Amino acid sequence: MSSYRLSTYVLRVLSYLLLFFLLILIIVPIWILIVNSTRSTTEIQQGISLIPSSHLIENYRLLLSKGLNLPRGFGNSIFLAVASTAVTVYFSLLTAYGLVVYDFPGRKLFSNFIIVLVMIPMQLSIVGFYRFMSMLGLTDNYAALILPLIANAGAVFFGKQYLESMLIQDLIDAARIDGASELGIFHMIIMPLAVPGAATMGIFAFVTSWNNFFNAFIIITSIEKYTLPMLVQTLRGDVYRTEYGAIYLGLAATIVPIIIIYAIFSRYIVSGIAMGAVKE
Amino acid sequence: MNFAKLKKASTGYFFLAPFIIGFLVFGLYPVVNTLTLSFTDATLMSGKSHFIGLGNFQRLFADEVFMRAVRNTWLLWILNFLPQIGVALLLSVMFTNVRLKIKAVGVWRALFFLPNLLMPAAVAALFNALFAYYGPVNQLLVRAGFLSEAMRFLESVGVTRGLVIFIQWWTWFGQTIIIVMAGMTSIPIQLYEAAMVDGANGWQMFRRITLPLLRPILIYVFVTSLVGGMQMFDIPFLLTDGRGSPQSSIQTNNILMYMKFASSKGHIGAASSVGVLIFIMTSLCALGIFYFLRDRDNVEKKPAKKLTSVKNMEKAA
Repeated sequence: MSSYRLSTYVLRVLSYLLLFFLLILIIVPIWILIVNSTRSTTEIQQGISLIPSSHLIENYRLLLSKGLNLPRGFGNSIFLAVASTAVTVYFSLLTAYGLVVYDFPGRKLFSNFIIVLVMIPMQLSIVGFYRFMSMLGLTDNYAALILPLIANAGAVFFGKQYLESMLIQDLIDAARIDGASELGIFHMIIMPLAVPGAATMGIFAFVTSWNNFFNAFIIITSIEKYTLPMLVQTLRGDVYRTEYGAIYLGLAATIVPIIIIYAIFSRYIVSGIAMGAVKE
Repeated sequence: MNFAKLKKASTGYFFLAPFIIGFLVFGLYPVVNTLTLSFTDATLMSGKSHFIGLGNFQRLFADEVFMRAVRNTWLLWILNFLPQIGVALLLSVMFTNVRLKIKAVGVWRALFFLPNLLMPAAVAALFNALFAYYGPVNQLLVRAGFLSEAMRFLESVGVTRGLVIFIQWWTWFGQTIIIVMAGMTSIPIQLYEAAMVDGANGWQMFRRITLPLLRPILIYVFVTSLVGGMQMFDIPFLLTDGRGSPQSSIQTNNILMYMKFASSKGHIGAASSVGVLIFIMTSLCALGIFYFLRDRDNVEKKPAKKLTSVKNMEKAA
């Protein structure tokens, strides 16, 4: 019996060693990024440090002085992410509600069809999408990045799973007896009740938009409309070759807001993934 | 009665209408547009284009550049997927194991998932800075005496590919843990109790109970990772010069497509054909995975409710 206990103990120690090793792999690059954004270029060249320094403001000035408009990029990213989140959450819940509550010919087919849509890669549509947008005059316009989210298959799938887990039929029947319209029921009763699910869906929509590089890179051309990932791409240019502190600060500015959001909402996020519904 | 039913049905369609219209306009039409373009020599610069049949595709198959991009993409995907699923299985077993009783499983999982949310563009740029010639990694290795002088990491094929693989793994293993664990915890505990009564050891239980019952989840992870991996762009694009350097060793399908799209003439016909061909390849492989990993015997059944999504997906595909 004691040898069993001993081997359990050894296994447990090995397990924790592995966990801490993986944790270090995750934390160290992020930590170096944050620390280096507070260190001057000279300090960075002198060696690695895990303790923050005091040159944050200086790096920020340096970053801006080279022509990179970080506040504007930040504002653009926030605007785009908020609009994308609102469109995704509203229209996906609307569609999911229609699928869960009403019975009509083709409902099952449509539900399965949505799962197929989730799997279609953007490679298959992006070139045609770009040409279509230039026909409509929507290139270099955020509308081209927001409007397609009206039909966000991954979010509808998640919304459907979520609404199915709520028992809402009795509420709907009661509201109908009270004379509420069908759309009114959705707006006044279902949407307030679905806030937890909508929050999870919204966080993913926000992060996806915030991090989206490829589509924005294709569609947006004028520098005033650049979002943060596009500014990150310009950070690698020659202008910044020797300004390490400024580069790290620019990168930290894109990453830290997401870490803060995650620190607050991690429970929703992890449970959202576990529902196996969120598309990457 | 019939009228009421009809009204109910039409209300259902009313709720789906925005999605359907949005899909037709922004989803289906661009796909049809891309397919059409792939049979033409269209460029962004000239208004005219000609139908050239399968010309673009024939050219791609004959083009060593395209074949190299396909090989690169597969290599970078498979070498990050294997350790990803391996670590996910190992950690899921650890986290659910009653003998080990790992503490704060939720916290560990949440921490491992963090990289997934960070902007890939910024992560790639970060590793570019860390592994630069004057970067911290070189400083550390030189000072510790592992290297006699700083190394040009991002000019070495092996190191650069290794970095892309590492970053991809770093980004995705936490997510895979969460999904695999959701699958494992939905396996009825009685199966393990029965196996223990029969004297099965840990490995036998994993091999005979966990793995078979996890199959739908593993198929899901496999296919979504494949579809995502074949679209790999941000990290290899931003880790080096945006052309897959050094020696085009991390030039993926999508980087190649982008290069054709963004070339001076804007060869959108050729770029479309890359997209179409990659889509066909990905779909065939996904169907292959469904076919070869399908449930051959119907004895094992009933994954819990959480897994219905995956089962639906199998039916749909």
